[in-house]
Amino acid sequence: MTSSNTGSTATPVRKTSKARRAFLIGGGLVGGALAVGFTLASKRITNAQGFKPPVQSGEVAFNAWLKLTPENTLLVQVPRQEMGQGIYTTLAMLVAEELDADWSKVRVEQAAINPVYANVTALGDSAPAAMQDAMITTARLIGVQMTGGSTSTRDAWEPMRAAAASARTLLLAAAGVKWNVKPADLRIENGVIRHAVSGQQGTLGEFAQAAAALPLPAVARLKPRSEWRLLGTSPARLDVPEKAMGRAQFGIDVRPDGLLYAAIKHLPVAGGELQELRWKRGTPPKAVLHQVRGPNWLAVIAASYWSAQQALADVELVGGGPGASVMSSEQLAARYRDVLDGKDGGPELGKPIRRTFGEHGNAPKAIAAAPAKQRFDADYSVPFLAHATMEPLNCTARIAGDGKERKVDVWAGNQAPTIVQWLAAGVADAAVDNVTVHTPYLGGGFGRRFDLEVIRQALECAKVTGGKPVQLIWSREDDIRHDAYRPAVAARMTAVLDDAGQVAAWQQQMVGPSVSKSVIGRMNPMFAGDYPPDLTNAEGAMHLPYTFANFRCDHAQVNLPVATGYWRSVGNSYNAFFVESFVDELAVALKKDPYLFRLELLKAQPRFVKVLDAAASAAQWTSALPKGWGRGIALAESFKSIVCQVVDVEVVGKDIKVRRVVSAVDCGTALHPDNVKAQIASAAIFGLTAALKGKITLSEGVVQQSNFNDYPLLKMAECPTFETVIVNSDAPLGGIGEVGTPPVAPALGNAIFAATGKRLRGLPFVLA
Amino acid sequence: MPVQFTLNQKPVALDAPPEKPLLWALREDTPLTGTKFGCGIAACGACTVLVDGQPVRSCVTKVGDVAGKQVTTIEGIGEKGPSAVQRAWIEQQVPQCGYCQSGFIMATTALLEKTPNPTDADIDAAITNLCRCGTYPAMRAAIKRAAELKKAGA
Repeated sequence: MTSSNTGSTATPVRKTSKARRAFLIGGGLVGGALAVGFTLASKRITNAQGFKPPVQSGEVAFNAWLKLTPENTLLVQVPRQEMGQGIYTTLAMLVAEELDADWSKVRVEQAAINPVYANVTALGDSAPAAMQDAMITTARLIGVQMTGGSTSTRDAWEPMRAAAASARTLLLAAAGVKWNVKPADLRIENGVIRHAVSGQQGTLGEFAQAAAALPLPAVARLKPRSEWRLLGTSPARLDVPEKAMGRAQFGIDVRPDGLLYAAIKHLPVAGGELQELRWKRGTPPKAVLHQVRGPNWLAVIAASYWSAQQALADVELVGGGPGASVMSSEQLAARYRDVLDGKDGGPELGKPIRRTFGEHGNAPKAIAAAPAKQRFDADYSVPFLAHATMEPLNCTARIAGDGKERKVDVWAGNQAPTIVQWLAAGVADAAVDNVTVHTPYLGGGFGRRFDLEVIRQALECAKVTGGKPVQLIWSREDDIRHDAYRPAVAARMTAVLDDAGQVAAWQQQMVGPSVSKSVIGRMNPMFAGDYPPDLTNAEGAMHLPYTFANFRCDHAQVNLPVATGYWRSVGNSYNAFFVESFVDELAVALKKDPYLFRLELLKAQPRFVKVLDAAASAAQWTSALPKGWGRGIALAESFKSIVCQVVDVEVVGKDIKVRRVVSAVDCGTALHPDNVKAQIASAAIFGLTAALKGKITLSEGVVQQSNFNDYPLLKMAECPTFETVIVNSDAPLGGIGEVGTPPVAPALGNAIFAATGKRLRGLPFVLA
Repeated sequence: MPVQFTLNQKPVALDAPPEKPLLWALREDTPLTGTKFGCGIAACGACTVLVDGQPVRSCVTKVGDVAGKQVTTIEGIGEKGPSAVQRAWIEQQVPQCGYCQSGFIMATTALLEKTPNPTDADIDAAITNLCRCGTYPAMRAAIKRAAELKKAGA
């Protein structure tokens, strides 16, 4: 969430893409006008087919993004998924702002699937700088709607405001015609168009029909920030009342007529093949209407989910085969050390693909030349983590009819409806246009709902029910044991501190899998290649704001026996831990204050300095703490936003009690400040759960955790207090849903060091 | 034989085996889906409902065991408009993804019946549900606000 102004900033900002430039300035057509906030009514407002959302009686669709009713209700089409991050509200605000709509009459509708709604920013972000333009062009062609990478507001910023601004132009024109006045003499306030001189007035809704019949204007004026009334304020979230009343519908709540339920059990061992079913009584219980068998799973369908689950308790899945993993977490850690030592990864991990993601100067040479006393090394590691969304994975599917007439309905909380549609068409052998994807609220996403396995399985179930819908729900045990995990990663950090106390060299070497390869490979094995390099491996490590004379960031990519996935803040979730803990170690080695040391390293980085200062100041960095307490600081840029966190911890024996988290965030401009603060605390709590408790371990290829009893989450009683300071800047929009996660683990680890003198280099933190 | 009990102040007779968890009886045998499945082992509290005013985790409560009792779900407390707890929740903008919130609201409803002025320690002891979005800070404020609203008779 933030502002559009470009302009030079201290952060390494990617240049505006060609496609985006064309959109902004229209090939010179309105180049001059751009400066005063005009925008081309672009192809992202509509598309070649002139797609408009379906309308119910009386509703008027202006373009792909908004409808008005005669009663003056504004129906904003949101093609991103609401999973708690507040995106329904923020994107509706973009539209309401440009229209000066009555916020109390703004409603959101989950948009249909159409290429006009593609999230081009998400794909652009995934490409190396030199390939971004091509990737954005490709993204527009492929037209994938997805919610992730903290891109939703950044991506919607231009098209949704432009869509509303062009509708505004048309509405004013229509009013001008009716009242025979100049549109320039009209103003809109709270959804009402007024002509001051004549005293005429009417609602936006009254003019909707006439306005929508007018041709789309070539350009539309976007409000300058000085005219904002809504953006930058914190209106009540649109989704809150129904969530507080228990009326919000999640995927697990859909109840189409004739619904059957399916429960599922997976073969415990990773990579194994299901070979045999052993029913306790020889045959399945009577409640089982159908069995559906997959490569490593069995689903049973019954009239009740509970009966289906009961039935599965009676069956043992037997399997294994050549792909079955025998890996244990201790062995994985040893193989990781081998790879960091330059060796092979062994039979399961394979030969690593070694890449350099960032480099300036010659760090290896500087390190080799440094005397031992100036050289600092430390090995860090993080474990696998499950997402553990509160709503267990589920999908409801219905396949009805045959041949060209076959219709498919999929109801599922998901983060990529376009891909769900393609998948469903393939699995159900139906035309893509005959697949309807219904996306209700997501009971948590965090990257988990990019994974389509549950959707594929539900569709397989729906094939055997004779047209009846079936709702497949994973148990919590299967969710924890068969997640696409945040990968286990190890890093070797090396630095040289010269005689002058400067960081003469910084080198980070990592080993881990490519998450993108795992995710994309499970969507479509055809695309499961090792190229292009997966930037998520090194995000948060390959471009640091600090000035180091020699710098290098290497990654060794290996294969893993378990699936890995995008997990809130992805590579940043571990890279910030490695980097910011090691920066702290260097500060300690130099006997410098960790805050002042960072300040020293932030040369020509005014944005970072402001954020660092804001957090240190709000936290009263130098204020005294009770005995046994410690204070730590960490700074991280992710998803174009900068966050600094200061953590106060109390250590009692082996008990780590996090008392306070003070954050400062620069996301450009906070469009909904209360939500920015809520997301920072949310993401920090997510990160604290990982730092204090999170661990998925393997024993001979089998995940050892199964539910919240052995994969616990932070509770109310363990939750620290939060203070968040927003540092607005003129930087381009940054993301907000994930950026509070990366710095919290290192800030806590640094605080634990301050309290105890013990440097903990692995997560979760355990005091011996 | 159907299991009979009072659900949100109305008598119901559910055609469910008595050993079926109350959670699944509610979700499958009534139209009420506000009570959520989270873990199945009473660890997360997403399925919290009130049985005779006491908070119970319905995923491990047999429907047969509530025969003749008063069961209240999230739908029941807001039938005549949002309850004090729900109003506080809306005022403090607590929910994010929202999935766990019914359970928290029911646990809070029970807490405030017993302890009208909960201290932080009371809240920590009574509210042991899990929220993956980390809405705890807003929730703590909402619980205190709900106590005020309730006292004011609102």
